[in-house]
Amino acid sequence: MTRSSPRRESQGLRTQWRRAWSTRKSGAQLLSTPLRRDLESRYGDLSHLRRVGSRPPLREYFTELWDRRHFIWAGARGAAVTRYSNERLGALWYVLRPLLDAAFYGIVFGLILQASRGMENFLAWIVVGIFMYRLTSRAITGGVGLIRGSKAMLRAFAFPRASVAVSLTVRELMMAMPAIIVMLGGIVLVPPHEIPSVTWSLFPVILLLHTTLNLGLSLLFGWLGAVLPDLAQAMSFVSRFLMYASAVIFPIDRFIDHPTIMAVIEANPIYVVLDLYRTVLIDGAVPPLAEWTMLAAWALGALTIGFTVFWLDEERYTRE
Amino acid sequence: MSDFQTGWHLSSDPKVTIAADNVRLRYRVQRSGPRSFRSILGKRPVSGPVLRGVSLAAREGEMVGLVGLNGSGKSSLLRVLAGLQPATSGTVVASAQPQLLGVSAALVPELSGLENIWLGTLAMGMTPDEAYFARERIELLADLGEAIKQPMSTYSSGMAARLRFAISVAADPEILMIDEALSTGDASFTERAKEAMHGLIARAGTVFLVSHAAQTIEDMCTRALWLDAGTLIADGPAGEVANMYRYYAHSIALGKDRAAKKALVSATESHPPLFSGT
Repeated sequence: MTRSSPRRESQGLRTQWRRAWSTRKSGAQLLSTPLRRDLESRYGDLSHLRRVGSRPPLREYFTELWDRRHFIWAGARGAAVTRYSNERLGALWYVLRPLLDAAFYGIVFGLILQASRGMENFLAWIVVGIFMYRLTSRAITGGVGLIRGSKAMLRAFAFPRASVAVSLTVRELMMAMPAIIVMLGGIVLVPPHEIPSVTWSLFPVILLLHTTLNLGLSLLFGWLGAVLPDLAQAMSFVSRFLMYASAVIFPIDRFIDHPTIMAVIEANPIYVVLDLYRTVLIDGAVPPLAEWTMLAAWALGALTIGFTVFWLDEERYTRE
Repeated sequence: MSDFQTGWHLSSDPKVTIAADNVRLRYRVQRSGPRSFRSILGKRPVSGPVLRGVSLAAREGEMVGLVGLNGSGKSSLLRVLAGLQPATSGTVVASAQPQLLGVSAALVPELSGLENIWLGTLAMGMTPDEAYFARERIELLADLGEAIKQPMSTYSSGMAARLRFAISVAADPEILMIDEALSTGDASFTERAKEAMHGLIARAGTVFLVSHAAQTIEDMCTRALWLDAGTLIADGPAGEVANMYRYYAHSIALGKDRAAKKALVSATESHPPLFSGT
């Protein structure tokens, strides 16, 4: 057999794979004793073998997840870039869709209903609510269909399955960016104008916590959707229900006589995050510390629980 | 000397790259189609065996063919060996992460060939630097000319298959698994694909190739495993096993059940699987 000399670049790849691979525990002793003895006597040492297709412990899982960061990013970008590629206007839709959305709510609530609900700038209030709520609702709905939708990918490559949830979150954030810019521009340009104040600088901080929360929810609902695929049918109701329970369109003043409902809504992380956005962007005030802690606790809690649950059931996602 | 380097050259004593111990797999599906109200409530999933205790080992420099009729469990075995589907019971150990030839899953039809190369190489676990170096080799092997800049949705199925194959081989995996991939693509490409695979084996790799065409196995492999109804029937030199399988498949096609059964028995007698799974 001819031996071709190993090229440098391919050697690099094998070395990297071996590094990630060699962090796994030795697998030879997992074989049954007669088979192991037989193999050893025939072919010699087996200590280089590692177990294939099992769920790695958390630390290795994180390492492997981190090693896939470029893939997660490229995958998310690829999906985000091609979203409107079948439309005539193509990338223009990234701006057109949110513009149409904003115009719709402006016409319905501003012109037809003439609603103000005792607020100075009800239009801005509702646009911020709807645009930012969409991120969470898409994280939940996308999470439920996640495993089913990525089946082809999961069947072809061995990577930590949580990558698909991370990729989903990154993709949704990328696709939301034009909408966020339209939203910020809209509340400045449309009367009564909101003037950007110093508190606007807190917006990215809230977005970061919000994204953490969304990632946790995607992981959690990703697992739920894999366990119970029927959940996909119920998602539109869940999403609509959450919309009313999070004060997206209606202020919670209407529940002022129901202290229990008020308490439940005020503990709801989506309500809290929307309230933070609105306080910062519209009221130009710094939100109270209690709301920050509440959101941070929810975000980290959702991420921890979502990740653990998803990781524990890692082998389920490729089962037939 | 770390074990990074030792794997690089074929030693006189090839190491074991992958071993499976008594792998069993059952499938479970929800019954589909019209069903009575009672059966919806008392949901009983249909289940059946796919692999009935398969044990095998492969070494560096081996090109292993898997033959068997449709539904004999060839593809399932490949996916279990690659760790892409958890076995119901049994263990698989390997010297490196096996790579299944299946980049199609990560590719986006709307993106160009070049962008898909980028995505596919990253999906296999390359860093951006390595993906950059691999690009040239992939372009060369796929040989698509200017079409590489067009969206993949404009490719013919043969062109897409070539790109997929080129991407998988560029990863230079130690264990490559191919599921009937070479049937597409014209003669000149098949020749180049063969060359790429031999290069892989020469660099101390192992290739598994699934096909129900005995000819493909005979042409390309050094060793063949014959799988029937989830059981390993024979394990031996590719030419001989492929010939026996050809005779068996021919008998089945002609409806000669007794001759087919005799072929199975004689194959097991002359080329028994090395490890009997019990």
